[in-house]
Amino acid sequence: MTIMKSANRYLWIGYTAARSNLAYGGEVIYRCSFLTIILYIFLRLWNVVYAATGSDRVGGLTLPQMVWYLVVTEAIYLSAPRVASEVDEDVRTGRLAVHLIRPLSYVGGHLSRAMGDRVVRFAINLTVGAVLAMILVGPIPISAAGIVMFFATLPAAFLLDFLGMFLIGLCAFWLESTSGLALLYTRTVMMFGGMFLPLAIYPAVLQPILKVLPFASMLSAPGVMFVNPSFLLLKESIVIQGAAVTVFLLVVAIVQFLAMRRLFSNGG
Amino acid sequence: MFRSFVDYLRLCAAYLRINMNAQLEYRGAFYSQVAAMFINDGAWVAFWLLFFNRFPVLHGWSLKDVMCLWAVTTAGFGIAYGVMGNAHRRLASAIAQGELDLWMLHPRAVLPHFLLGSTIPSAWGDAAFGFVIYFGFVKPSFQQALMFVVLSIVVAVVFVGFGVMTGSLSFYLGNASTLSDQWRDISITFATYPPTLFDGKVKLLLFTVIPAGFISYLPVESLRSVSIADLLIAIAGALGVLAAGVGMFYFGLRRYESGNLISMRE
Repeated sequence: MTIMKSANRYLWIGYTAARSNLAYGGEVIYRCSFLTIILYIFLRLWNVVYAATGSDRVGGLTLPQMVWYLVVTEAIYLSAPRVASEVDEDVRTGRLAVHLIRPLSYVGGHLSRAMGDRVVRFAINLTVGAVLAMILVGPIPISAAGIVMFFATLPAAFLLDFLGMFLIGLCAFWLESTSGLALLYTRTVMMFGGMFLPLAIYPAVLQPILKVLPFASMLSAPGVMFVNPSFLLLKESIVIQGAAVTVFLLVVAIVQFLAMRRLFSNGG
Repeated sequence: MFRSFVDYLRLCAAYLRINMNAQLEYRGAFYSQVAAMFINDGAWVAFWLLFFNRFPVLHGWSLKDVMCLWAVTTAGFGIAYGVMGNAHRRLASAIAQGELDLWMLHPRAVLPHFLLGSTIPSAWGDAAFGFVIYFGFVKPSFQQALMFVVLSIVVAVVFVGFGVMTGSLSFYLGNASTLSDQWRDISITFATYPPTLFDGKVKLLLFTVIPAGFISYLPVESLRSVSIADLLIAIAGALGVLAAGVGMFYFGLRRYESGNLISMRE
């Protein structure tokens, strides 16, 4: 009963965050227009590449599959909430003190809010991207099993990204500004996660290394799972995501413990 | 007129000194933002390195051409918003919230004071990146090197003019911050991809509504051809964008009404 009550609190925070996200129409339009531009530019790019190679497959994907892959990775990347800057602001303004006296886990509260934000943003991005992809390149073969496997990779992908950004935010206890670090983190995810280029296009010597890094689990794995699902890829993704989540959780717990030791409360 | 121009250059130098002193009070934050933006730009270049490693030519454009495009765009962006930080994402909200009142109390024209009022720390990372990539990777001839320095200032003029143009929308549409940011970000996005990807109608758009052509395509063509004629066209285009932006601002300023909001210099 206590566990259910506790879970209800976090679910309610997530639900509130999801609803408030829908109130900012301007931001939704901004993300959708940016997604449209990127998809158009990359469709032009891949049209040129496929025509130049004379092949109907590049990196194992056809042109429509490449565009749909990009829809999924962009939808995930652009749905990321501003966790690092929120944690940074909490530390810098002292708002952290207000959070800590609440009967809620600090990281749990942020996780609920972030997931509420992310689910709504991802749904909107994916819907808009899917409509654009249908117009630009048409549909690709999709099976019910493939859709289930695709959605199975998403929760851990979102959780991994959240933990990474939360860690960056906690660095505010030691650094004057975490904005640079947050920018580096997002670029690392973009480059090593295969946002624009599927990992199969990277140099062969890099591919095995990139596949075991957590970044590929955030973007490339869901992307490939959508356009070219396979049970083998699902098994690999679950193992890598599971290991990455465990390591990230441990690191977040240690860093948060060390960070809280630097926290001092002054009266007034 | 020449004396007036020199006076405004001295104003620019004074503001730059003040802004940099303010930023360097928090050196760690300043240098980390510069370094992070440098690495961020490097990530985009790494993407193109991977791309051209697999697909060596893109409609006549090679890796060197794309490096050149990124160098001139980032150098121009960095100079523009390093010197005139308020031209980036501030003008639209300042107009909507009545913050121009403070700047209108300064002597002489209000726009230079407002634009010079702050610096964007990360823009210096972009500027450094542009020059490092061009001189380190492209390895230009002496004429190309001179032309690059001139073109980076030309592109900076385009960025400032376009920033003023998009920000001035708030005079006519109310709080146009989001629209202004979107318009500017879309232009920058198009400017960082080779123009050979786009066909005739889109290219027309890229020299009018979305001035990506003036930001990167014309400057890169000037550097490829080392042609003074192309350079003069790029300069004319930049001055045209600046004139349009300044015109929109001062025409909109006639419609501006002061509010009762108390504001402070940040």
